[in-house]
Order: sequence, then structure tokens, then C-alpha cells
Amino acid sequence: MPARPGTLDSCLIRIVCPLKRRSRQLATATHPLPRNQPWSHPPASTSIDNDQVARLASRPLHLLTLADLVRHGRPPLSASALFTSANFTLSLLPIRLAHRIQALRNLPFIVVSNPHISRIYNNYIHSLSTLLPYQERQINTLEEEIQFTEVMADLVQTHADTIPILARGFLECRKYISPADVTKFLDEHLRARIGTRLIAEQHIALHLSSQPHCNNTNNTHYPQDGSSSCIGVIDTALRPAEIIRHCETFVSDICELKYGARPRVIINGQPSTRLAHVPTHLEYILTELLKNAFRATVEAGQSREPIEVTIAASPSPTVPPVPDAIARTSPSLQQREEEEEAITRATPPPLPPPPGVVTIRIRDHGGGISPTNLRNIWAYSFTTFGEEEVLDLSHNGNGNMDALNAISGANSSGESSSLAGLGYGLPLGRAYAEHFGGGIVVQSLWGWGTDVYLRLRGLGEMG
Amino acid sequence: MPLPRPGSWSLEKAAWSTRPLSFKRPIASATTPWRPAVVLDEWVLKEARPISLRQLTFFGRTLTENRLLSSANYVRTELPTRLAHRLRDMQTLPFVVVTNPHMSHVYNLYYKAFETLRRITEIKSVEDNEQYCKVVSETLQEHLTVIPRLAMGVLECQDLMRAADMDRFINTLLRSRISRRVIAEQHISLTETFNSAWHFPNAMPQVDPNSEFVGEVFLRCNAREVVEACWDRASTLAKEAYGPSCVLPDIAIEGHLDATFPYILSHLQYVVGELLRNSIQAVVERRPMLTSGPPPIEVLICEAPQHVIIRISDQGGGIPNEVMPELWSFSKGPRSHTHLENLSQVPKMAATMQELNSSHRTSTGDGKNRSYDGSLGSLTSRPPNLRLGMGLPMSRVYAEYWAGLLEVQSLEGYGVDAFLQISKLGNRNEQLSTRASMDAV
Repeated sequence: MPARPGTLDSCLIRIVCPLKRRSRQLATATHPLPRNQPWSHPPASTSIDNDQVARLASRPLHLLTLADLVRHGRPPLSASALFTSANFTLSLLPIRLAHRIQALRNLPFIVVSNPHISRIYNNYIHSLSTLLPYQERQINTLEEEIQFTEVMADLVQTHADTIPILARGFLECRKYISPADVTKFLDEHLRARIGTRLIAEQHIALHLSSQPHCNNTNNTHYPQDGSSSCIGVIDTALRPAEIIRHCETFVSDICELKYGARPRVIINGQPSTRLAHVPTHLEYILTELLKNAFRATVEAGQSREPIEVTIAASPSPTVPPVPDAIARTSPSLQQREEEEEAITRATPPPLPPPPGVVTIRIRDHGGGISPTNLRNIWAYSFTTFGEEEVLDLSHNGNGNMDALNAISGANSSGESSSLAGLGYGLPLGRAYAEHFGGGIVVQSLWGWGTDVYLRLRGLGEMG
Repeated sequence: MPLPRPGSWSLEKAAWSTRPLSFKRPIASATTPWRPAVVLDEWVLKEARPISLRQLTFFGRTLTENRLLSSANYVRTELPTRLAHRLRDMQTLPFVVVTNPHMSHVYNLYYKAFETLRRITEIKSVEDNEQYCKVVSETLQEHLTVIPRLAMGVLECQDLMRAADMDRFINTLLRSRISRRVIAEQHISLTETFNSAWHFPNAMPQVDPNSEFVGEVFLRCNAREVVEACWDRASTLAKEAYGPSCVLPDIAIEGHLDATFPYILSHLQYVVGELLRNSIQAVVERRPMLTSGPPPIEVLICEAPQHVIIRISDQGGGIPNEVMPELWSFSKGPRSHTHLENLSQVPKMAATMQELNSSHRTSTGDGKNRSYDGSLGSLTSRPPNLRLGMGLPMSRVYAEYWAGLLEVQSLEGYGVDAFLQISKLGNRNEQLSTRASMDAV
């Protein structure tokens, strides 16, 4: 499977950033690692002062923008740029983790006592403990930076399965906490998680793309001639049409396995549109939306009807709109290509013009969403699949593989691949879209089909 | 006229009530006639009694004299009650807003109507009803200028009030206005039905069970036919405005083409007309012409047990981002200056439509050739390039009046999808603002 820019491959990290011990025992952590510890009761002690958590949690959260992530420059970064990135990351993460810990602590006792929830809770404690030693220091040497990146890798890995684990936990606790409270907690928590992971992953990606020994490992992620459109996990020349086709293949496969039918997807509008965004996010959102559309289409007996995806890009403010008949590509692409040639690697990107909006409309003929269900589509763990299917699913997320998973392969965020959802696809998809100022709107035509509007804000023209 | 002394309102009230109704101080921009609030207070305390479309039609199906008088008395008390609520709303707006000449004009119209209508005594005979209908008709005619004047007043007062407050006020006012006109026109229409049977006993019976109209309610609005009719009208107007050389887009209607429901036809025609007009305009003005011609406007009709949805999709380039936040506002928007200028051209149209309105009341059973509600008519037949900036917010007021919905999704750079949802069963009450919800705000 060809590697896509921005995906985290822990194997790659291990090749590129060797350390004496690859296991979880980090020099500074005194807290026993949660994965090896069966918890049947709430954690008795932590290695973190409550003071620390309170102090950090009282600091305001920084609102992450795409500009933040690219401000350190285009890879490969110089050593000093890498240090800046590391220190910037360091300034943000402990506060974010502390806020999450506090939010978890405020959940009802009986909920946090659940082994799954408590496991997630301990993960956060553990991660924060790995960062506390850096509190008073700045990162100034390559060695420190490597070590720090290792900590980041551990953080990302530890929290990879948070969602299915939390989902299972809340499902088991549904008698003790209302769906509204669950939604409220998860909305905040998962949105924060998106930002936290992004910061960590971005630093790791920048680190990896800046290492001289990248050349030696046949690394296709980050070609050294600067022709890559990637800045860490961000692709500045992301083509949604490409992602849609990729997701379509994936979803079609599992749809065919489950239903024996394979609706097709038509892409119209402005398929050559490009924007600057995070490919993994877009992939997740589109996969979830396509899953919904495919399922509805097939279950309504309309599998011959195509699913229509329309891509629209708001016209660039600096370039007058070019009529479709004359230019095949959007003006923004032409301008971007010219700019990319002119720019050198070392200089930080110029301030981007105001961001454009890309709208992707997914239209299906699957019968629509009933008014009753429509009220609940944004609630976490609302799913129209039966409970057994869902419990089965979250169980699979913990390691048991069935044929579906084995064939299609779980994606990087740990969500197992099945059309059946945990009921997280829509609300989480919206959280991803809204993270950089976009959103998702659902218009149901009950009795006919559904129109879903995904709006994305990129960085506009990226130098 | 001396200002009343504090505490002497009862004396003044006596004095006021003997003044002829036609007496009015000339309306200057800084002063409005001082009226004692006591009378208004009494009416403000009464609650409006909302009605549903089904009740309107059911009531009108079997017309007897008793029913007619009953209807008359319902209208007799409802109109002043609803007017009183709106008057109180206006009175609580900032002074500087109500003294704006346009707002003041509307305020005085309303007050005059209130004063006239509240004095009418119980209607006990068909003759009483005749007189009553005459008075109500005249009032309705007089109020044709309300919408354009109100819109202008709102735009001129943009900076004097928070946009959200203004929008809320206007929405409530317009909703109430629709409601008053609905019940008034329905009653007048029923009176005509009753009269025609009364005077021509050998003609068709008082109630034709197969009649497609009960008063103003068209029992069998077929979504497709309405869309086609509105399309014809909008295209004709567009051709007049843009010239015969302009190539208009085609329309393609698909979906549940048989969907049929009872509705007040003029309302439906207004909303669908506005949406189609917007789409045609966008396609003609904003999209460069491809050699293959302008992309068609696609209409989908979707029928569910309880509602019908009409989706109108165009490829007119979408709504620019900077307009979106204020799309539903009467008072804000980057183009309000142009709108203000354009609005001043509309009152003249209202005046000309008044002549046409005299032939508005066709005999019952005429079916589909009903012309519009007068004020809607003047708005609907304005040329498409006269942008007033209120088509969408007004349409939403009409759509939501019978518990429907209007939503617009823009794909900037491509086009717009408009979703009009209509409650099919007619058993949802009018969506009025009650005193309780107003006070809670």
C-alpha cells in the first residue's frame, strides 16, 4: 500500500529515531504503564500532583489554526526550526492534557470507575507525566529533540484507540449517565483530542522529514527536492476528488462484502479543486459520509442509483474567475504552481490570503432520514444499528479480527472497518470539519434521499 | 391639541372617543399623536387564538348563516387583539426608531386600524356582516404599503438597534400580518361564497363538495403544477428584464410529481416564485455562458406522510461567503444601500396593483386562475433585477407560518440548494408569537 504523506507509521519512527530501549519505559516516568495493569477499580494514586493538573488546567487553551502548524517552515527544517517546533509543541500540550484530565475527573465516579474509561484516564495521566519533566526546560539540542519526539510518538501511540475504548465504556455505563451528558463530554473531549494529536503528529512529521538519513531509507514520504506539497501532516495541494475515489474503493469493498451491492459514485462540479488541509482528517470524514450514503442507498433498494458528489470551490479573491470552458484547472492551482516554483525551502511561508471555502455535497437517493432519527444524528453513540452489532464492533476494536477487518484493514485511527458504526461518524466527522472553521450540514428529504454538505476551510493559497 | 395631564387619562379618553376618526394630526417626523395607552392595555392582555389550515377549510365547507356570523365575530375580536400586540411591540421599540418616517407611517396605519376595528360591535345579521366586510376590505387595501415602508424603515434604522432584535421584531410583525390577512381574507371570501348562493339560489349549491377552493385555501395544490406556473411567470419577467436575446436556463422537475396538499395558493406561489427568481437571476448574471447553454435548474419534489419538500437546485455560482451570515436578516447585509434605493420604487407598484385588485375577488369555483393577495402580487411581479434584499427572509416568514421550513445551502463557486418544507396535513396551528414567548425573550 503506497504511503500517503502525513500518516504516522510507528515502524518508520522506530527506524529513524533509534533509542536504547524501544519499550515504554521512559526514564522519567515513575507511574506504572496502564496497558500492563488490569484495573478493576478507580486508580488509587497517580504520580502527578493535583496541584500540577490544576495549575495547568487553569491556563487557557490555545486555538489551533492551520497557520500554527506550518509556521516553522517547509521541510526539511533546520535544526533551530525543529527546536522551535518542539518548544512550541511543548508550550501547548501539557495544558491540553491537563484540561482533559480535569474533564474526566468531573465525570460521575461510577463512570470513571468503568475499566475502559479508567484506562483512558490513566493514559492521560501517564502522558502528562512524561511531559512534566520538560516543564522548565527548553529544547536546544538535537539529542533532546530526538528524545522529545520519542515522547510524542509514545503519546500518539498510547492514545490511538481512545475512541473505541471510550465508546465501549460509555455504552456499558449508559444506565448511569444520560446521552445528552455523554454527547456534551465527548464533543468537547474529542474535539480537543483532534487538536492535541495534530500538534504531536505534526512535530513528528516535521522531524522525520528533516532528518538527513531519510534519504537512505527509501523514504517516499518526503522527497528532498522540495517538490512535495506536504508540510508535515498537511498537504497544501490536497485534491478532495482523489480522496473521494480512494474512500469510495474502501467503502465499496465493505459494502459489497456486507450487502452484495456496490453503488457507484459520480463526481461533478469542480473536481480539480485543491486546498490545504490534513489528508487523514478528510479521509475519515469522507469515509464516514460515504458509508452512510452507501448503506442508505443499498438498504432502500436503490443500489443502481449513483451517489452524486459535487465539489465546489469559492473563487480565489486575488484571481478573477476563469470560465470553465477555457481553463481545465481552477485559477488557484495555476497561481499555486507558479508560486511553488519561486519559493525556496528555507524561508517560512508568506502570510496566506484569506482562506477559501471548499464545499463538498454528497447526495444520495437512499430514502432520507426520518424526522425521529433526524433529532439524534449528532449525538454520540446514536446509531440505527442494533446493540449486538455495536458491542461486537467495539470488541473487535480491541484486537479480535474478523474477516471484514482482516481483508480491509483497520485505518490509522483504530476504527474498525465495517459499515456498522459506533454512532460516532457524523458527530466526529463534524468535529474534524469544524476544527479549522468548516462544518457539516445534513438536509434530509424523508422519502427520497439525503444531501450532506461538507464545508472545509483551507489555508487559501499556500506558498 | 394639549398633551394629557398625568392622572387625567380618563377625562382624555372621553375626549378622544368623541373625536371623529378621520381627525389626525399631520404626521411630522418628530411627533406622533399622543394616545392613551389604557385601551390598548386591555386588548394586549387578550391572547390570540391561533387557527390551523384544516380548521379554516373545515369551517368553510358547510356555510350557514350561523357559521358565517360566527366566523365574522371570530375575526372581529382576533384582528384588534393581534393588532394590539404588535402595537405594543412597536411602542417598546426605541423612540428614535418609531419616529423614523416609514416606521411612523406603519405605526399610524396600525393604530388607525386598531381604533376602527375595536369599536365594531357584535355582528348579528348578514347586513352587519356586509358592513363589516367592507370596513375590513378597506383596511386591507390601505395596508398594502406596509411591507415596502417597513422594509425601508428597517434599513434606515440599521444602526439604531441590534440587528437580532430588529429581525425578531420584524419577523413577529410579519407573521402577525400574514395571520390577520389570512383570517380576514378567508372570511371575506366565505362571505362572497355565501352571498353568491344567497342571491342566486338556483345556481350551484352553497357548498360544492368538489370545489377546489374553500375561501383562499386551495385544497389541491399540486407541487409540480405550482412550480411550473411560477416558473412560467418568473421566466416571462426575466425575459422582459434581460431582453429577448438572453438565454434562460431550463427547468427539470423530478420526484413525487403527484404530491398534493391543501395550502393558501398565494403564499406558495410567492415563496416558490422567489426561489426560482433567485435561481434564474444567479444563473443569468453570474455564470459565464458555456457554449452548451446555461445549466438547468433542477427541482425535486419529495413527499412524506406528513410533509412535502420542494428542493430547488441551481448552478448559479452560489452565495458569496460574506453574505451568508446575514442571509435571513431584514436589517443587515453588505448590499442594504442598494436595497434601500430599490425599495423606494416598490410603493409605486403597490399603487398600481391596487387598481388590479379590484378585480381580485373572482367568483368562487374559478379554480386555478386566482390572482394574488394584493401586496404579494406587487412584490411577485416586480422585475427580477429589482433587488430588494428581503425575498428570502420574507419567504421564510411565509413558509414557517404554517409550521413549514425554508433552508438554503450554498456551494460557493457552484450553486445553491433551497429546501422548502410544507406541512401537508394542514393540522398544524399558525405559528404566532404568544405574549408569553414575547415576554420571555
